[in-house]
Amino acid sequence: MNGCSHLQHFMREEEGLKTYELLHGVFVISGSDERRQAKVINAFCHVCDKRDFFLHVCMHCTFFGCSQHIREHTKNKKHTFSMDISYGQVHCSQCGDYIYDEQLDSIARANALQGDSVKKFVLELVWPRLHVEDKDWCNKTEKMVIDKTTHIGLRGLLNLGSTCFMNCVVQAMTHTPVLRDYFFTEHHQCGGKCLITNLFRDFYTGEKTPLVLNEFLHLIWTQARHLAGYEQQDAHEFFIATLDVFHRHCSATLPAQPNSSANKVYRCSCIIDQVFTGSLQSDVVCQKCNGVSTTIDPMWDYSLDLIPSVTDGSLPSSLEDCLERFTGAEILGSNSKIFCESCQSYQESTKQFTMRTLPVVLCFHLKRFQHLNDLEKKVSTKIKFPELLDMTPFMTKQKNDTILHLQLPYDNKYMLFAVINHVGTSINAGHYISYIRYQDRFWYKCDDLIISEAGIDEVLQSEGYLLFYHKYCLEYR
Amino acid sequence: MSQKYYEDTVNSKLENKHAVERVSELVRVRLVECGWRDQVRLACRKLSEENDGFNNFDELIAVVTPTARAMVPDSVKRELLHELELILSNIDKLPSKK
Repeated sequence: MNGCSHLQHFMREEEGLKTYELLHGVFVISGSDERRQAKVINAFCHVCDKRDFFLHVCMHCTFFGCSQHIREHTKNKKHTFSMDISYGQVHCSQCGDYIYDEQLDSIARANALQGDSVKKFVLELVWPRLHVEDKDWCNKTEKMVIDKTTHIGLRGLLNLGSTCFMNCVVQAMTHTPVLRDYFFTEHHQCGGKCLITNLFRDFYTGEKTPLVLNEFLHLIWTQARHLAGYEQQDAHEFFIATLDVFHRHCSATLPAQPNSSANKVYRCSCIIDQVFTGSLQSDVVCQKCNGVSTTIDPMWDYSLDLIPSVTDGSLPSSLEDCLERFTGAEILGSNSKIFCESCQSYQESTKQFTMRTLPVVLCFHLKRFQHLNDLEKKVSTKIKFPELLDMTPFMTKQKNDTILHLQLPYDNKYMLFAVINHVGTSINAGHYISYIRYQDRFWYKCDDLIISEAGIDEVLQSEGYLLFYHKYCLEYR
Repeated sequence: MSQKYYEDTVNSKLENKHAVERVSELVRVRLVECGWRDQVRLACRKLSEENDGFNNFDELIAVVTPTARAMVPDSVKRELLHELELILSNIDKLPSKK
């Protein structure tokens, strides 16, 4: 994208880039007090005083114009370029249309990251677009019709001797929409045959025979020694180990990143972090001086207790209950005093977790396996979980929003797409099965190599051990 | 005081309290959620075919805007009005930008 010849000339002869950077930074981003003031004072049409959303600024003189008058101005004064102050798009009056240039885009991006806190917070929330080259898609010649009768993407998995825990985790991950789409496109380049990419592709060859995942199992064993061996393992532990192996592999094969700004300290740009990593805010409030000490940590999954409440001994009955307890304020008793910086002494305090940012995929782990004094007990408490989950009540409240009832981010809806259940009464024996959502409306039960249709009611009535939710509305910027 | 002074003051206050960003972010999210953005995309394509293609952006805007405006659901409009009311009536109590 190189704009037009007029733009090239403008950039070469008239310091076009500097002009754009300045105008964009002041009037589109307005990242500082002075700039905001400048914008408010200047942003109105010089001809008709209108302050509409289509305001443009001339890039050759100090003229501001509304939709009608800016076009007149650039034509009459022969000032070629104008910039819209809502989005920073550049219009060339000689070409008669908006033009797009890579250099201008990168200036705009760089400016955006210097913006103020609200704008930056909003920018962080949006799923970064995977730059799929359109021509790649056009050149694909194989086509397939997907209708109600196709089962592409569903394959059974052979049990290699108590490997049902692995089979369930693989079913859930290969049916994670965003992750699956990423490994389909050729974004992941690690030079040579990649086990992970092939795993995704094997599921979608259209064949119906069960897959044998001996190579995959071997990969996890060598990378996560603590899980090696043919005994039954905990599906949750296996899931975390798998994420870790994928993460290490994907971040190792990323191209070298230029020193990125403080925005992304808690997650790297590998696909695993982009999809699974959210952040958890922990606030410790000193009971004496009410001073708050805040830390923010990255999270891949949320382990929820199923223990009786300390206040009234009741057990949680739904996922929302569990989340309420998870994000509720916990009084740290006199045995666990925290050192308060402002009081300079140990004080009693309350601790509270809230979700600061949510990942694209949320994984909830219901702690059904308890190890109490050498006894291993399975907690079979019935926990109701919804198909559509709204995480808004559990989000960190931004300081600005105590008056307004709506908090940023405004959209926190998640849709269930996979459930892993443990069948049986004991931890060491028992079996894992999974339910996965297929083509949006259908659910299938995956019991090693047996894949069978299941209704949504069956899924929602099941016990639930690992629950996978996917962000409902994804948008690209 | 002139109309212009009045407008400048109001705008200044709105800018300083993040109001414009909050409201535009809210509207953007709701419009994506309800499928309006995708509907407008489809409408652009349809109207482009009917029009024998658009010569430039200004033409596209002129043709598509009335249709797009009509497709905005009432619930989004109501929510927007409600938020604006809340912001404007509490404008002095809101914390200022840092």
